[in-house]
Amino acid sequence: MITEATAEMEEQEYMRCGHMACPGCGEATTLRLVLKVLGKKTVMVILPSCVGVISATYPNSTFAVPCFHSAFEIAAPTASGIAAALRLQGREDVTAVAFAGDGGTFDIGLQSLSGAADRNDNFIYVCLDNEAYMNTGIQSSSSTPQNTWTMTTPGGRRGRKKKFMQIIAAHRMPYAATASIGHPEDLMEKVRKAKAIKGMKFLHVLTPCSTGWRMPEHMSARAAQLAVETRVFPLYEVIDGREYRITHEPKGLPVDEYVRIQGRFRHFTPDDIRRLQAEVDEEWALLKGMEKGCKA
Amino acid sequence: MAYRDITIKDIEPIIPFSRGSTEIFLTGQWSAGKPAWVEKTSPCRQGCPVGNDIARAFAAASKGRIDEALAIFRDENPLPAVCGRVCYHPCEAACNRKEMDEKVNIRGFERFCADHGCVAVPRPAAVRKERVAIVGSGPAGLSAAYHLARLGFQVTIFEALPEAGGMLMCGIPEYRLPKAVLRKEIGLLARLGVRIETGAPVAAEGAGPRTLGALGRDYAAVFLAIGSHKGSGLGVEGEGIPGVLEGIAFLRCVAMHEPPDVRGRVVVVGGGNTGIDCARTAKRLGARDVTVIDLLSKSEMPAIAEDLEGVEADGIKIGLLTAPKRIIAEGSRLTAIECVRMRLGPPDAGGRPAHIAVAASEFVIPVDTVIMAVGQVPELAFLAGSGVAATARGMIGTGAAGVTAVPGVFAGGDASGGRAFVADAIASGKMGALAIYCYIEGKEAAREYEALRIGAGPSFTFAPLVNPDRPRVDLSDVVTYDRLDTICVPFAKRNDNPKRAAGRRRPADPFAEIAAGLPRKRAEAEIARCFKCGTCIACDLCFLLCPDISILKAKAGGYDVKSDYCKGCGVCASACPRQVIDMGGGR
Amino acid sequence: MRQLLSGNYAVAEAVRLARVQFVAAYPITPQTPIYEKLSDMENEGKLAGVMMRTESEHSAMAACVSASLTGVRTFTATASQGLALMHEMLHFASGNRVPIVMCNVNRVLAVPWAFGSDQSDSLSQRDTGWLQFYCEDAQEALDTVIQAYKIAENALLPVLVAIDGFFTSHFIEPVEIPDQETVDAYLPPFRVPTRFDIESPAYISNVVNPEQYMGYRQRSFEDMEATRPIIREANAEYEGIVGRGYGVIEAVDTKGAEIVLATSGAMTGTARVAVAAMREKGIAAGLLKLKALRPFPREEVREAMAGVPKVAVIDRDVSLGNGGIWCQELKSALYGMERPPVVTGYIAGICGADVSPDMIEQMALDALSGKARPDLPTFVRK
Repeated sequence: MITEATAEMEEQEYMRCGHMACPGCGEATTLRLVLKVLGKKTVMVILPSCVGVISATYPNSTFAVPCFHSAFEIAAPTASGIAAALRLQGREDVTAVAFAGDGGTFDIGLQSLSGAADRNDNFIYVCLDNEAYMNTGIQSSSSTPQNTWTMTTPGGRRGRKKKFMQIIAAHRMPYAATASIGHPEDLMEKVRKAKAIKGMKFLHVLTPCSTGWRMPEHMSARAAQLAVETRVFPLYEVIDGREYRITHEPKGLPVDEYVRIQGRFRHFTPDDIRRLQAEVDEEWALLKGMEKGCKA
Repeated sequence: MAYRDITIKDIEPIIPFSRGSTEIFLTGQWSAGKPAWVEKTSPCRQGCPVGNDIARAFAAASKGRIDEALAIFRDENPLPAVCGRVCYHPCEAACNRKEMDEKVNIRGFERFCADHGCVAVPRPAAVRKERVAIVGSGPAGLSAAYHLARLGFQVTIFEALPEAGGMLMCGIPEYRLPKAVLRKEIGLLARLGVRIETGAPVAAEGAGPRTLGALGRDYAAVFLAIGSHKGSGLGVEGEGIPGVLEGIAFLRCVAMHEPPDVRGRVVVVGGGNTGIDCARTAKRLGARDVTVIDLLSKSEMPAIAEDLEGVEADGIKIGLLTAPKRIIAEGSRLTAIECVRMRLGPPDAGGRPAHIAVAASEFVIPVDTVIMAVGQVPELAFLAGSGVAATARGMIGTGAAGVTAVPGVFAGGDASGGRAFVADAIASGKMGALAIYCYIEGKEAAREYEALRIGAGPSFTFAPLVNPDRPRVDLSDVVTYDRLDTICVPFAKRNDNPKRAAGRRRPADPFAEIAAGLPRKRAEAEIARCFKCGTCIACDLCFLLCPDISILKAKAGGYDVKSDYCKGCGVCASACPRQVIDMGGGR
Repeated sequence: MRQLLSGNYAVAEAVRLARVQFVAAYPITPQTPIYEKLSDMENEGKLAGVMMRTESEHSAMAACVSASLTGVRTFTATASQGLALMHEMLHFASGNRVPIVMCNVNRVLAVPWAFGSDQSDSLSQRDTGWLQFYCEDAQEALDTVIQAYKIAENALLPVLVAIDGFFTSHFIEPVEIPDQETVDAYLPPFRVPTRFDIESPAYISNVVNPEQYMGYRQRSFEDMEATRPIIREANAEYEGIVGRGYGVIEAVDTKGAEIVLATSGAMTGTARVAVAAMREKGIAAGLLKLKALRPFPREEVREAMAGVPKVAVIDRDVSLGNGGIWCQELKSALYGMERPPVVTGYIAGICGADVSPDMIEQMALDALSGKARPDLPTFVRK
């Protein structure tokens, strides 16, 4: 039997057990893996969000690195200030990283994120995307996919999910990438790459929420895997806003496999699924075209 | 005023400044569910008559440990180089990968391990005083000898022919199973202490010095594995004419380097494995024209599909739904064979269609040689006076686990009516070894078998007896495809063994092996395609995906759970591509 | 060194002299010359640190807070709408106990839209936990910004330094600029320890329960009270070095006065002229300049107003539903005095509307006459 005394962990962990995440939480896994790669010399920023709850109340912390609980719409400028001060102090070996949800990124935090991106401030911005305001009880955000049930869109959301990576690409960041907890090695590799680059880096991570997506607890990793393999959420990088690199060739499973495991899509009709498939196919073709186009 | 030096101690009380750890919250109390790593059985292992731990072999190979993979095969099977060439691969029919794209080339992998791996012969833990005699050195006999020797018994094999191997030596042609490969495999048994006496037939009571009765007195147990080497006749007029050869005898003569002259036109009656082998061998011996006829239809043909492909490549004609009517001779010289067309009639009680001759459809094929390959039976004359009975079908009479009417005498393989495939013969020999072990130990064979049985059977494993400190595996739990998480596994085409192109075969050696082994890169690709159902390969996916950082891992592989913190979410179990993790248990 | 400087440029000089390491800002009239001057200084390598050009004032304050937590001296400046936009962050800064110094160039708040001086913007932020000082002219602005760092970094509370839009920010006057050595001797480099220590990691500002919150609030309240002696000492030390000190109030001819005019900011200059003229005419008028809003100089005001029968407070601001804010603060401070003065409130100069010495004299006479309403303020326009 392996115990903590006998376990020979090859790498250290920077997130501690005993945190308050729901069982099966995709965000918890992401936080853990990102910190695992970034290591000890990290200052992290978190917001009022699920992470705020996960990380525990005073006087405890689930993080083994310095962490600051900032305000909802300012993940980016908070990290900007930290990065600037670290540079002034000659502590540039320390990585500044900000974690925000889709609400804090797509909606209320978009303006300040845009400002930080414009300045190319030196930090990593990680968007933990569970496609709604989950901490406050499943309200829709501009990251919620079209037709999805949430508490504030009980008849299905009318708007379509913002194409956020396009917004990011338009800011010409040195490095931006999508990632998913279903492909942990890919995620960790992207964090490694981001860490080594100066300037602003953006990671859009799909972090399924069993509670909000209405799935059994154990399904979060599978949902993320399916999101990628059905091409609903492709894994790719954008370098300097120009060069697109697909980092994982998905199998192209039918979107129905992704839809049918989630209660938030339970009301989808065959027409809805057909429309979704068509949209996914079109976006994939566009992405392929962009990848091809930049290899001039 | 002195500029006050503010330290961190001044700051800590004025804002929330948390240095405590959440480890004080024992979130393991949230749920009684906790993961357990329990390795299970793969369907390929269940499908394999020999019980090869295929998934584990692939797992070892996936880490580059080919020697270990070969050792895993050799735990159950003494002849992986043989099976890797000629087995009918029921494992592949059971392969879970076929539900996703194409079944894995397991046979090609077994051959790859056998051809490239190197394994020390496992010495038995202790040598026992009991001696066991085995009659026949075919796959059943070799298998029984191997397993008994590994259990510590002193084994002697008595082989009637001048060379060991049984059907492997004299029934399967060189181009399918090179003799050099077979000899090397058999040679390993000698290093286990098995004695093989060739040119040593067992005679009927009173007909020679070595009888079954004598063996019964001199040895603690006897295993009869004499095979079925007596070819059946056609039952038609003219069968006795010179030029009408019996198929098994024909192949044996070729194997013994005394090939008959078949350079003219040849007709082989019978499209089973033996018939196909005879046809292709005749072609290689220079037959100008070879035709195989069989009364069965295409869908009923028992020969393996890939062998039929080879027939076409060799330029051999096949006539199905054709039965021989009579052999025609001019004087004592064979000149032709008259055949009649057949048609399928209504099925019998067993569901098999009737084969009815079509009226006035007779036709004549001019021929110089006819080879009969319509079935084999064992030569049972030696049983006279032994007390071991024969069945109505001419097989050695056996009960469960190969017991015969005589205590201490067991039988298996083709001779006892087992399925006439190499793998089944090997399995039969293994079962014989278990039966003999139990007989000598005074244990109940059926009960021992139950504890060792793989899935629904009939195969079983000796591993717990031979390697008691092996990791725990649930032999009864066979992992089905729906239990695997293969979402992220990319589609990939199957890698078949390449064939040497017909034109490239060196004319000087028409019997060169047709199928080549998998080149390394393709073997590696195929190894990657195997899911390794039920076997943990330490891929770390469970470890990485745990949201509660509650999985401990050991550098050498193996995982455990931190029960104090695990919330029982089950993500690990759900995401395991191999279904090794079970959620259950409690604190 | 003596130079002709606007109030904005004087503030910029103070920021340079204080060796501020991090400035995050966003342009808004009438603050822009501060922002531009600092940018020039950065470009010429005269700034000790870096400028961050944020996309809003809210983000500017956010970046200042986190930079300050990390451990560098920070500054920002804004006005009016910008300060209002920063409101959430003002609470955030004081709650995080960071020693940020901000210059607010007072400007009226929309709506209606206009750009003149009005103190509503900063006065209405009095509850955000910042210290607030109001400056009469460019010289005072420069000196106050430098002192503000000393105070802030001892108190671990942020400081707002207010100057009137256009009247102080843009008017040019002679300003004595201390040399770098002098300021260095007064204000050593930033020494507040970083709150992000890799070797001893902590989680800053996470969620607390009600009891804990109340504890922090009480502590902050007590620490704000404890700034009073710090302010006094900082001012005295500065005065000792450069010869200029301001106190938290300035009482001019209040002893024996029949009527005291209470003003703040640029209007104080006009009020000085008005008071001198009244004295010439035989009216026993005095002046109470209110510099500190927070912590409110309760004791100093009581002492200055002891025996004064009437006070006219002139507010360049108004809080709907209760009147001028300085007036409210003064009344609140005087409550409980034995024989407190009668306080009359006047609203004048909103949005930079002209306030002449004559108008101030009229307000004083009106207060003296006893006919003015005691409970509601009187709006005074030209």
